[in-house]
This record gives sequence, structure tokens and C-alpha cells, in this order.
Amino acid sequence: MAASKPPSPAISPPSLSFPRATFAKLSPHPFLLAHLQPPTPPSANTTPPHRPNGRLPTQFRPPNLHTGSLTHASGSSVVRLGDTAVVCGIRAEILPASNVGCAYTCGGSDDDTEIQALGLLVPNVELSTGCSPAHLPGQPPSPLAQTLAARLQSLLYATNLIGADELRIMYVSPPADDAGEGGGAEEVKAWWTLYIDILFISLDGNPFDAAWASLLLALKDTRLPLAYWDPDLACVLCDDLVANAKRLRMRRWPVASTFAVYSAQERGSVGGDGAGKWILADPDAFEEGLCRESVTVVVDCEEAEGGGVKTRIVRLEKRGGGSAGKAEIKEVVEMATERWRVWRDVLKGNA
Amino acid sequence: MTLPDASLSHIHRADGSATYLQNGYSIIGGVNGPIEVGRRDELPEEATIDVIVRPAVGVGGTRERHLESIIHSTLQHVILIQNHPRTLIQVTLQVIRMPDSDTFNSKKRQFSSPLRILPSLLQTALLALLSASIPLSTTFTASLITVARGSNTVINPSPEDLQNARSTHVLAFSAEGDLLVAESQGEFEIGDWERVFEMGLHAARSGSENRKGADSDVVMLDDDQGGALRGLVQQKIEKDQKWKENIK
Repeated sequence: MAASKPPSPAISPPSLSFPRATFAKLSPHPFLLAHLQPPTPPSANTTPPHRPNGRLPTQFRPPNLHTGSLTHASGSSVVRLGDTAVVCGIRAEILPASNVGCAYTCGGSDDDTEIQALGLLVPNVELSTGCSPAHLPGQPPSPLAQTLAARLQSLLYATNLIGADELRIMYVSPPADDAGEGGGAEEVKAWWTLYIDILFISLDGNPFDAAWASLLLALKDTRLPLAYWDPDLACVLCDDLVANAKRLRMRRWPVASTFAVYSAQERGSVGGDGAGKWILADPDAFEEGLCRESVTVVVDCEEAEGGGVKTRIVRLEKRGGGSAGKAEIKEVVEMATERWRVWRDVLKGNA
Repeated sequence: MTLPDASLSHIHRADGSATYLQNGYSIIGGVNGPIEVGRRDELPEEATIDVIVRPAVGVGGTRERHLESIIHSTLQHVILIQNHPRTLIQVTLQVIRMPDSDTFNSKKRQFSSPLRILPSLLQTALLALLSASIPLSTTFTASLITVARGSNTVINPSPEDLQNARSTHVLAFSAEGDLLVAESQGEFEIGDWERVFEMGLHAARSGSENRKGADSDVVMLDDDQGGALRGLVQQKIEKDQKWKENIK
């Protein structure tokens, strides 16, 4: 009688295969390789190999944007790329010319050096928010956070996103006599300093692209109140009216794209050529943990006649391995140009 | 183009050391390792690499962390880290002197590109590792290349070249000719970069061809960067192996 009973689910025979997540945890390298390798024998009707996250090797995560969500910031943005979510807030403060002293004398049209010399754009990256298990909250800035801040700052200065005249607070002295003659001399009384704070709410790979995109959007969203020099009080005053506030004018929209290079070659073996390598666009945290080599390209394109675009590379950063050579870099730049198109369309929709 | 100069193993209490001079930069590097690693940084299957960059003036900031991260990921690829699991290899690089163009104005120094110093830092780290006899999978040659306004490329540029450059590039090639590091500053097009790539590769390759000559019992001190350094390392090894000759 007992033998005819169906087995209860609690004592069903243990399965002999691992669930997906366990396999990924136990042996991550073969797991990723099994996903990327084409099926053998090759057959016509199978789908091309996908990454464990379901994307194609050259597929980016679609960006998700929102601007102006922080009410107390001059400008703010939220950018999501999959499970990587970043908030960027911009706080504008006034740097009076009297505080600068003789350290810097305004060179007039010398735009790019003025912002750099005075340090008018100050990015900061905060990773210790509990955004990922690798970054504990309440810790001092990790090397990754410092590296990100340095890369963002140097890219900000190199691209000349904002003209120095946008950040100057000028004073035109009134005519000296009743006839309206004399005076009219322009003088820089103060500058706006923009503190750009980037907080990671959640980090699932590719922090640089997300941080850069959020920085651009927040700058675009920034409104600076109308500031003027009051000669009687001898200080800078700001207008209350929102209608008088002016938006920052962005000169350009360079787009950052990061790629990880995964090589099938087992770690530690030297030489052994012929092993496969894959370029993975927009890597997530799992892939970043397995790929030592990474390439970041920042491109800014100009639309040429006939629908084509002319690609200008603003920055190229490659490190951590020797798999990607000249041909791969060229391929990566082409993919970055495609990505620039995606961002352009998204930004147009957002504007 | 200025030739580099270097001295090896001149600090006696470090496991390996090197001083490297090029283009007005003078950097002293020390390597300690493999040594015991703190439990927090311990890796079960490979050695932990710690890179510390100290500037010539003041204390290190985010710029130095950025340089450290580039050097760290390069060394991680070059050092056979699996040979020394659960240990620490510490590389300390102290900048001793900067060229006048960088120190002239402290404000200017702050935003002069950090890339200029990167090739010298990478070479110093490599020489110090060689001096410490840390097993490496390959060696590398790092060079600084600029693209001027007329699109002509200059390797190991002078301060005037740097001033007039449209873009500045740092490339490091392994002995096999693989591209290990590529960093850039300034704007350029893919055609420019391909020329820069060829130039860097040629500089790295010409070094490895000279090495073949050096194997045939002729010490060739070539007037290229790789050759000069190779001669120095060879002299050091000959000095280290002297005791063997007397045994015979």
C-alpha cells in the first residue's frame, strides 16, 4: 500500500544540475564563456550567442533619464542604465573676485584656462552609499571613487563644455558724468562655482558612462539666478525671480561608451594564442569582475551632409590587457558613434 | 627626443629599486615583495599589487589615484600574480623632479595633463620590478606621442611640441607588440590615432629587434629608448652573475 503512494514533494530526489545562479557563482569564467561561445556544431537556425544578462555582446543598456528632481539644487538629474542608477546634483556658489586676489588675473577671452585655473567646476563622486556590496557605506572615498572624480574632472576641463562667460558675474560701471560719457568699463566681480555631486544609488557596472551622462544632464538642467554687483553694498546680490534665472548653455554633447574585453584564455597562462576574445559593450558588475581589460571612448560627432556623421574622439582610455589592438579600437570607436546617435535621440526627446 | 637614463638596485633595503630620468622627469621606484598581505586585501589565488605614487610637491590627490589605477591594472597583467598567491607586491613611485614647464607655475601644474608623467612612471615600475626579480610574463615600452596641428606625430616630444600639440597620447606595448595601455588627451580622429599607434609600435618593435642583436654576445647600446634600458639591465645582470664566473 505504502509503495503506491505518490512521493511527497519534500523528499523528491535532489536534482543533479545546479541552478543558473549557483553555476555563475561557483565558476564564473566557464559560465560566461559558455554563454559567449557559438554553439557547436554551428547550425543556421540557432540564435546568436547572448551574454548572461540577455544582451548581445555589442548591445548597450537603454538609458533612462529624469531631470530636475531635486528641488534645492541648481540643477539635477537621475540616470539609469539597467541596474546602475546615479543621481547628480549641482550646487552653484559665488566666488568673489576679491577672494581670488592676485592668484589669477582675468585674461578676457582666454576661456578654457580661466575655468581650470580658478577651479570653477568641481565634480565629486560618492560610492559609499551602499550601492554595491563592494563599497561599504561610511567609508572614506575608495580609490575607484577618486579615480572616477579625477577622470570626470579632466574630461570636463578638456571638453570645454561651458564657456567661461557663462560663469562670470560682470559689473559695468555707470557713466561718470551726466553726458553719459566715461564709465562703461566691464569688470569681473565674481564667478559662479559649480559643485557637481554624483551619488551612486545602485552600481551594476559601468560607473563612468552613467556618471558622465548624469553630469551632462544636470549641467543642462542648471539655472543660475540673475546675479549682479551692487556698488553701494559692495557685494554680489541675486535676483529672486525664477523668470530672470538663466540656463547654462552647453556647447556640445560628448558621449562616453565603455567596453570590457573578455578573453577566453585562462588566467595565468602565458601566450597560448588563438583563444577567443569578445568585446562586451556596457559591462555589468558580473562581467566587470571577470574582465581585466577595458576600453572607454568619449566621442563627439558632427552631422555631415548625406546623413553621415564625422566622429571626433575626445578621449580614449584603454588599460589592463593586451587583447584589443588597432582593429578592435577602430571597431569600438564605430560602436561608440552608434551609441552617440542613441544618446542624441534620447536627449532630443528629453529636451 | 631625449634618451632615458636609469640606475638599478641602488637602494639596499628594498627588494628592488630603480631611478629613471627622461624628459626632465626623475622618478625613484622601490618594490617590496612578495611580502605578507593584510587580511582585508588578501586574494586567495593571486598576489595583491599595491601601487603608490607620490608627487614631487605636496601630497597625492585624485590625480595620483588615477595614475595609480592605470599602473595597477597594467602591472596586474604583466606580473605573474598567480605564482604568488596570498602575498603582496608593493610598488612605490616617488617623483623627485618635474620638468620646468610643469613646475613653473603651481597653478598651471595643477591642470597640466597627468599623462605626461605616465610613461616615466610605467618604465620606473618595470625597472624596479626587474631589479626585484619579480617574475613577469612580458616587459613593455611606454612612450608619449603628440599629434601637432599639421597632423604630424612626434614621439617623446619636447615642451614646445607639447604646447603646440592638438592631442597627446600615451601608449605602452608589450614585448610581443600587444597594446597594453592607451590614454589620450585632446581631440583627434581615428586616422590620427592609427598613425600614433603605428609610431608607438615601431618604437617598441625596433627595441625588440635590437635585442636579437644583443643575444649574439655584442652589447648594443642603441640610441633608442628600449636599447638604452636593455643595456642597463644587462649590465646589472652581469654584475649579479659575477660570482658564477669565478667558480668555474
